[in-house]
Amino acid sequence: MINSIARFTLIFIVLILLQILLFNNIQFSGYVNPYIYIMFILLLPVEMPSWILLFISFGTGIIIDIFSGTMGMHASATILAGFVRPYILKLISPRDGYEPGVNPAMLIYGFRWFLLYAGLIVVIHHTALFFLEVFRFTDFIRTLLRVLLSSLFTITFILLLEFIRKGK
Amino acid sequence: MRNLLNFLAKYNNLLIFIILEGFAVFLLASGNNYHNTRFIKGIRGLTRGIEERMSNMRAYFNLRDVNQSLVAENTALKNTIERLARQEEILFFSVDDTVNNQQYIFSDAKVTDNTVNRQKNFFILNRGTRQGLAKDMAVVTGSSVAGIIVGCSDNFSIAMSLLNIDFRLSARIRSNGYFGSLSWNGRDISRAVLSEIPQHVTFGIGDTIETTGYSAVFPEGIIIGTISGFEKTGGDFFKIDVSLLTDFRKLSYVKVIGNLKKAEQLELEKLIQ
Repeated sequence: MINSIARFTLIFIVLILLQILLFNNIQFSGYVNPYIYIMFILLLPVEMPSWILLFISFGTGIIIDIFSGTMGMHASATILAGFVRPYILKLISPRDGYEPGVNPAMLIYGFRWFLLYAGLIVVIHHTALFFLEVFRFTDFIRTLLRVLLSSLFTITFILLLEFIRKGK
Repeated sequence: MRNLLNFLAKYNNLLIFIILEGFAVFLLASGNNYHNTRFIKGIRGLTRGIEERMSNMRAYFNLRDVNQSLVAENTALKNTIERLARQEEILFFSVDDTVNNQQYIFSDAKVTDNTVNRQKNFFILNRGTRQGLAKDMAVVTGSSVAGIIVGCSDNFSIAMSLLNIDFRLSARIRSNGYFGSLSWNGRDISRAVLSEIPQHVTFGIGDTIETTGYSAVFPEGIIIGTISGFEKTGGDFFKIDVSLLTDFRKLSYVKVIGNLKKAEQLELEKLIQ
């Protein structure tokens, strides 16, 4: 228990630092802004109670908000991601259900499952985030394009990180 | 009562979600008023350490470019001195009270935090009201437009970058003086759009776009960029693509320009409204 808390704290710090120091500075043509910190919400244990998940999502979002000076924007999007996560897990559960004490990792449930899982949550999170950022529905198509391109990059980076984690 | 408790137990997740989401949206709505500098003062205290270190590091990597632009500016200034010194030899001129005639006051500042990857970009300067900065002063880098100060605390200021979809600037084509409104389209950090130029005006690709000085914020004749393309829009106007001179990713040392006669100018403009 203590061990896993320490491990998640480490993952949390690494992801936050990656996001603030590296990914917040990425800029391709105004369309691609990867937000990989959402990976932390993906990796939390399956049987974690939803209300804890919601508070963790809120905390994660607020920390990113404080460092990027966008109060509440990341927090709202991340809470939404934390809220839909149990439903998505239920929706795409493997045939024999989830084993107790197991984290939703690529190593255990396979590449295709993880891609679907990460993809759904990342797209939901990014949609909320980018529409909250512009806060209007004019230029709808362009915002949608930003959502899709950024999601693509975020998912790619999350898969890369997951492969690195798997290698350990 | 029991029913209510059952209801709460059944839907507690939804309830927590709604409460937290509501709180986050409240933060979003109230905290993102960038003009509210008191909020920024509080938050900046927490993150200033890291940001300053990051910005110091970036400043180091940019030294070569900064040096080059300083050399260029030095040369230009030396040329001006040379010209003025020559004038003195051959012309008689009366000495005016220079303080009274001074319209613009210049001050230097360093960018401590800057974003380019949002739709509404802002940057932070390490000077504030104590160093004489105030709201609505112009920010230029080298000799091109960077932004406008929208709020000041004691020692820091926040400026709206030209790369902000809310930014509007009165700009004109240097070669013929026709002016229009310049704004960023939110797509490319090296491009902006100049609109409201009538279709009978002739200009060429590569013509310089500069500020007009009508707004009392920017002095006249500060370069914004060059024309890189244009298209006709409905209503007999051109939509001109402007390639920006400023590289916003490398913003580090900037000049802040205050207009000493702005109050006077605005007072006068009020008469005709």
